[in-house]
Amino acid sequence: MQFFLQQCLIGITNGALVALVALGYTMVYGIIRLINFAHGDLIMLGACLALSLVSGFGLAGGGMVTTWFGVVLLVLLCGLFCGGLNVAVDRIVYRPLRNAPKLAPLVSAIGVSFIFMNVGLFWLGPADRSFPELLPPANLFAGEGLQFTAKDLLVLVVVVPLMICLSLLVKSTRLGKAMRAVSQDPIAAALVGIDVDRVIAFTFFVGGFLGGAASVIYGLYINTISFQMGFQNGLYAFTAAVLGGIGSIPGAVVGGLVIGLVRALSSAYVGERWTGAIVFAILIVILVFRPEGLLGRGTKEKV
Amino acid sequence: MPLLEIRDLEAGYGPIRAVDRVSLDVDDGELVALIGANGAGKTTLLMTISGVVPHRAGSIRFAGSPLGGLEPHQIMRLGIGHAPEGRRIFPRLTVRENLELGGFTQTDRGRLRSDIDEACGLFPVLGERLEQPGGTLSGGEQQMLAIGRALVGRPRLLLLDEPSLGLAPLIVAKVFEVIASLTERGIAVLLVEQNARAALKLAARGYVLETGRITLSGTGAELAADRRVRDAYLGEG
Repeated sequence: MQFFLQQCLIGITNGALVALVALGYTMVYGIIRLINFAHGDLIMLGACLALSLVSGFGLAGGGMVTTWFGVVLLVLLCGLFCGGLNVAVDRIVYRPLRNAPKLAPLVSAIGVSFIFMNVGLFWLGPADRSFPELLPPANLFAGEGLQFTAKDLLVLVVVVPLMICLSLLVKSTRLGKAMRAVSQDPIAAALVGIDVDRVIAFTFFVGGFLGGAASVIYGLYINTISFQMGFQNGLYAFTAAVLGGIGSIPGAVVGGLVIGLVRALSSAYVGERWTGAIVFAILIVILVFRPEGLLGRGTKEKV
Repeated sequence: MPLLEIRDLEAGYGPIRAVDRVSLDVDDGELVALIGANGAGKTTLLMTISGVVPHRAGSIRFAGSPLGGLEPHQIMRLGIGHAPEGRRIFPRLTVRENLELGGFTQTDRGRLRSDIDEACGLFPVLGERLEQPGGTLSGGEQQMLAIGRALVGRPRLLLLDEPSLGLAPLIVAKVFEVIASLTERGIAVLLVEQNARAALKLAARGYVLETGRITLSGTGAELAADRRVRDAYLGEG
């Protein structure tokens, strides 16, 4: 039982990280129906920046307060970096293709993914790089047997508030309403006075910001980064977004948690090498019976 | 000077010239009908005025300033509202959110609220369904929502595209009653309709559009009495 709970805890923490990345896929898909294949590699670049900042500022070896303050600063800086980069890519690559056939921006996204990967190769070098252990490895549940360290705490402390902010932003603000309007009918949105391109740019920014935050957490939690990390992490996050129902924000969160749990449990009980196969088998089964994903909306709509 | 002044306008998609050298005026507070068969270019003309379809030649001036090169959201902000073909309400937003988005450019919360109340006054059924998703409304209710949404944006000119399409006769009468009342509030209306009889009855003036060109124009009564109009659009003769 203890072991099972421990795996669930690992799964939830990992899943929260997957969900943060999945949100970037689902938001961009929701607003312009584009699978942004460069998203995983954007996060890899965020991790590059995080590593450079950590080394540059000598963050490792500081006191408790310095460390946590540094982490918050890292999340902000990498968030702004990835958000800004995402907006730039939209402006330069995707926006000129807005009225082109769907395949054109999709192929361009794959191209951007390769460009990012090469920038990452240049930045990090070809080998895996270790990310400094900033947080103490001590167990926060003293004597309980369950392992829950400052790293696990970090994931939840960053991810949960970000998700709450995001859902408030989308549900209750004027800009959030504009985002939902553009996602449902961009022409009607323009006709009521919404600057559609700006709303799309803002969506890219938010998705990128969440990815940047994820990149910092990834570095601090997994402790190894490489120029190739974007592909696999992107694939799992994309799977989470599809599993939850692509375009649905709560769907991305649920999908991320499901993927995190399945990965942790299958690694523990079946064996690590089967994890990929099991995750994707579950994806296929769910999509056969519920093509719109767990929380995706049905195709029934009144006309 | 007319409120909306279109001269020799050409627009369309790709090689197709859906709007061909069209000239047309709408005065302040005037209701003008634009009638024509399916595919005559009526919707394209309205979409061109709103900036969704770019124009290739000619000019559109609104309240004296040219609209060429402006984005749809900029044109809306100048005071042109548009209840588009097929209604295009936001199906997964509530009726209230749809109306609030109509007033997206309104920064004064109090005025937005009173504008929404006013739209619900015109179409009481909207007021009863404020918390319901737009997509669950009936066709007639969705049309009312589309018009209400455009009105919350406080237009000086309202473009209405086929407001009666697919609606039950009783609802059509209700919608037309509201349209007629708009001019009393000083809102000019450019009304595109296949229901030519009802449109010409309301309109001060009208134009007939055939394969992208204006072939006839005159007062509503003149057009309704015109032999060619009666044959082609009023189902007589």
